[in-house]
Amino acid sequence: MESASPKGPSAAAREVENLILQVALRDRAAFKSLYDRTSAKLFGVCLRVLTDTAEAEDALQEIFVKVWDRADRYQANGLSPMTWLITVARNHAIDRLRARKSAAGGGMDEAVDIADGAPGPEALAIASSDRGRIVECMGQLEPDKADAVRRAYLEGEKYDELAARYSVPLNTIRTWLRRSLIKLRECLSA
Amino acid sequence: MMDEPDMDEQEARIAEYALGLLSPQEAKAFEDAMAGDAVLRASYAIWVENLVSLTDDIAPVAPPASVWSRTEAKLFAADPGRTKPSLLRRWGLAPVGFVGLAAAVAFAVFINIPVQSPPFNPAYHAEVVSEDGTFVVQAGFDPATATLRVIREAAEPRPDRVLELWVIAGDNPPVSLGVLPEDQTVDLPVPVALQGAVQGGLLAISDEPPGGSPTGAPTGDVLAVGPLTLL
Repeated sequence: MESASPKGPSAAAREVENLILQVALRDRAAFKSLYDRTSAKLFGVCLRVLTDTAEAEDALQEIFVKVWDRADRYQANGLSPMTWLITVARNHAIDRLRARKSAAGGGMDEAVDIADGAPGPEALAIASSDRGRIVECMGQLEPDKADAVRRAYLEGEKYDELAARYSVPLNTIRTWLRRSLIKLRECLSA
Repeated sequence: MMDEPDMDEQEARIAEYALGLLSPQEAKAFEDAMAGDAVLRASYAIWVENLVSLTDDIAPVAPPASVWSRTEAKLFAADPGRTKPSLLRRWGLAPVGFVGLAAAVAFAVFINIPVQSPPFNPAYHAEVVSEDGTFVVQAGFDPATATLRVIREAAEPRPDRVLELWVIAGDNPPVSLGVLPEDQTVDLPVPVALQGAVQGGLLAISDEPPGGSPTGAPTGDVLAVGPLTLL
């Protein structure tokens, strides 16, 4: 599990990055390898967000079409490869979920692309690498507030939905979530 | 130098954007701000890296094989054959990145924010080839700059003849995009009237007398054809 050193990217991350760069050069074999290595993690994310197998399968297919289409932009974004892939997947799944709920709102699609891991310890190592501090920092927030951040990230809930969920006015939820995010950021950079 | 409350305000804004909590108007305004602010982009990248850890405890689940076959069908159905890995490299998109690349690098490209001198970003690609595969020209069209980049991979005109490039939209007659110069790579500006035809149309190259077809329609052999397909 400990394939990532805090000093730099793990060998596994480098391999995923190389695959993405080859995909940018329209290398189909590399695309299949990237799919084999990362589709299980991404599918897990789709299932978590969409909670519907058929919809998660559709989303995963669309996500890999995006990965193929946008791989050439990857190198410029400064994100680690699994972060890029997972964020593409998460944002796409959230967009789908919001479309299903027909909630108005800006698409997340512009914000990033995603794809992640493969089954097995290697993928888990990629996914956890040297991040993970956020989990610790979330633990320092009040449970309700940590829960709201999680819901926004993994369930795409917006301020109006969160306000209804916690039975507080919109402005109140906005203020307390923003404060929580600032606290989270302070903890993360500590 | 920003004081503390402004910094906090900014961090909260970035996180709200990354989470998708902003209204479309607010998100757009934030993207505009990021386009001109490398520090903001770097902070955004840090938030994205951190938030992704919220997926760490999501277990991988192997998707059914049908997902891959559908992905493949969707992307490659129109072109089951070969792939040309050299093409994007020649467009200047060779890999230069490393995992550890500083977060502050040109993030703008990634989130579709215009940068000062836009690179050539082909949305359409055509491989214009002869039936026997010995004559090969690659073409890419970037709708943002209305530029058609043509790369002669293996394409020599016959002695004392020239190559002329045509676009064919649907059942319409071919319209000339011009005579190809000697250069191996050439960027052709596509007139407004032809931009629609180029997106999804068919490219063809014909053998013509010096100066190009005198009639406005191909007069010599059609040497190669290839559809412009969405990348």
